[in-house]
Amino acid sequence: MDFLALILSSTIAYGVSLLLVGLGGMFSERSGIINIALEGIMVFGGMFGSIFLSLVAEAAWVLEHPQWTVLIATVIAGLSGGLLSILLGYAAIKLNADQTISGTALNIFAPAFAVALVWAIQGQGLTDIKLPAFIAITAETFGIDSTTLPTWLDTLLFKKMYLTIPIAFILLVISYIVLYKTRFGLRLRACGEHPQAADSVGVNVHRMRYSGVIISGVLAGIGGMAFIMSSSQSTFTASVAGYGFLALAVMIFGNWKPLSIMGAAFFFAFFKTISALAIDDRLSFLPTFGLASPEYLYNILPYLITMLVLAFTSKKSRAPKAEGIPYDVGKR
Amino acid sequence: MKRTTKPSDARSDSAFLSRLVDSAGFNSVAASGISIVLGLIFGFIVILFIDATSAANGMGDLLTYGFSSLKQVAKVLYKTAPLLMTGLAVGFAFRAGLFNIGATGQYTVGAFFALYVAILWHFPWWAATLVAMVAGTLWGSIPGLFKAYFNVNEVITSIMFNWIALFLCNLIFLNNQAMWTNSSDSSRSIGLAFVNPSALLPTLGLDVALDSPYANIGIFIAILVAVVVFIVLEKTTFGYEVKACGLNKNAGVYAGIKAKRNIVLSMMIAGGLAGIGGALSHLAGTVNYTISANTLLPMGFNGIPVALLAFSHPLGIIASALLIGFLQVGGEAMQPEFSSEMVNIILSVIIYFSAFSLIMRNLVKRMTPKSRKKAAAGPSDPASKGVDA
Repeated sequence: MDFLALILSSTIAYGVSLLLVGLGGMFSERSGIINIALEGIMVFGGMFGSIFLSLVAEAAWVLEHPQWTVLIATVIAGLSGGLLSILLGYAAIKLNADQTISGTALNIFAPAFAVALVWAIQGQGLTDIKLPAFIAITAETFGIDSTTLPTWLDTLLFKKMYLTIPIAFILLVISYIVLYKTRFGLRLRACGEHPQAADSVGVNVHRMRYSGVIISGVLAGIGGMAFIMSSSQSTFTASVAGYGFLALAVMIFGNWKPLSIMGAAFFFAFFKTISALAIDDRLSFLPTFGLASPEYLYNILPYLITMLVLAFTSKKSRAPKAEGIPYDVGKR
Repeated sequence: MKRTTKPSDARSDSAFLSRLVDSAGFNSVAASGISIVLGLIFGFIVILFIDATSAANGMGDLLTYGFSSLKQVAKVLYKTAPLLMTGLAVGFAFRAGLFNIGATGQYTVGAFFALYVAILWHFPWWAATLVAMVAGTLWGSIPGLFKAYFNVNEVITSIMFNWIALFLCNLIFLNNQAMWTNSSDSSRSIGLAFVNPSALLPTLGLDVALDSPYANIGIFIAILVAVVVFIVLEKTTFGYEVKACGLNKNAGVYAGIKAKRNIVLSMMIAGGLAGIGGALSHLAGTVNYTISANTLLPMGFNGIPVALLAFSHPLGIIASALLIGFLQVGGEAMQPEFSSEMVNIILSVIIYFSAFSLIMRNLVKRMTPKSRKKAAAGPSDPASKGVDA
């Protein structure tokens, strides 16, 4: 029971950043812009959130209201992510630039800028930011004595709980509603499928695409914060370990649909958890096949299984039709 | 590019000049040049903000260190060789309409298996390089096959197999003690010079001439390969088909080109190129294979800007790889006042502006009509000659 709770809570902790960033990628691609810069935007957003948290960590108000502070940091992360994504949007929408190229530029820029900035703030060679301990949500946060809870419940709810986890699920619901139940969502999707048709009925394609890109930036920024909290030992290291690219893969795996993206994110996160636990030797019943360091075998697992599933399911996978193509009014 | 280098049918000097200024190749080079200048200016502004007093020195180091001594030149060339190969790996795939973000995985298996056969089986350098090429080719074929036969986007497969490459190489490494025996720790491969000096890339005396352990023939191999890739792309039917499918797959299929076969072949070639890159860097004896649990080798990702800056033209990639190798060596000289990451900031700005290639090219065109007119009138104007140089 304790063990299952551990697997479940770890899966969720691993999965939320993939979920958030995958949703971000979805908004951008559904509007017609390929956002390959998710990795860089995660770093950028996570960096400003982390800098904020480390700067205010000692303030009295902050110590009294830790979770409000985390919320503010998350908002800062989202806003800075959105800000950086405008650069991508400007190049892709206004200047009709190649979207892969400008996205790659941001991916190179963000981690380098993060190192340079954090280096400038903290002094030479210090490029890591350790987040304060109060960001974790524990039973004590709610005034409950954790020793009175059964271990499995404590593990499930409070072992790896951060504010970004409930936020991620709220944003998932909002994303679904926005994309499928609002006029905005319909127009956004139209711009990703056939922008000329959307334009012909009065939809402002440029504005829709900017919206899509900026929403994706905000979600990726928040995802960056979520990653640092739950997948990076609460330490900002100017890197998100390829999660932005993984999120891109999760988005494609999830067929550009919110609920499928959630499924894909947690599917991947589940196998990632298994491999992480195998490394910790907590799954000692797993066979080692007589290998030294069998953890690397289990590391391969989530990636390989995802590929196998994709091979069988993606015959019918279909990207938004107009993604990656600059909008040309004259082309009907 | 091609047209600019073949003046044979130009009626006169001036006609050649005007054609040169008009040509797409010239525009691309000029557009990249503008991007590079803008990137350097932006980088300078950033380091001014970080530390104004040492900014001028830092920038000076960045731009001169690579030339400062023969030793540094050797290091620039050493860094350029694998950059050139991964740049070709990304660029070739781009020409085929594929985004090869998996160059890092292909580079990793190339580097690892080159060392594997060199250390365990005592292969000489050329055989180890061939093994690296084969390993990269196989690794590159996977995204190609998935794309062609399972309709899986090559980006997702490449990303997944980058990580699989890393973990697989780590696993094989840790299960073959000979890879590190006698070396002080089990997370680094043993030095090639100790176990199999014949696997070291030949230096042809360059290491003595340039007084640097980094000097070897790697750069010449890389340039040779770039020329071969150029010939394949521009002078063969296969290259034509690759480019045709890259521009419009449906039109290619309609014209009778086997698109699936081309996708797989293109990815295999791209993978082989990156694999050679892994051998060129790891068979120099200056770098070991190091176990890393969660970091992909950056070299493959660096190939992306190399290719983009050159608009994926194989000969242009030689120049852009040299530039980026030069800046990387210069970046090391900027420490400790600035982190060497400054190079990447500058690089990112360069890439960002090069994304506006169309606008840049138009800008160049608008800037040049005057010189073009004068060139047509007569070759006496020194300004128009400057363009040629």
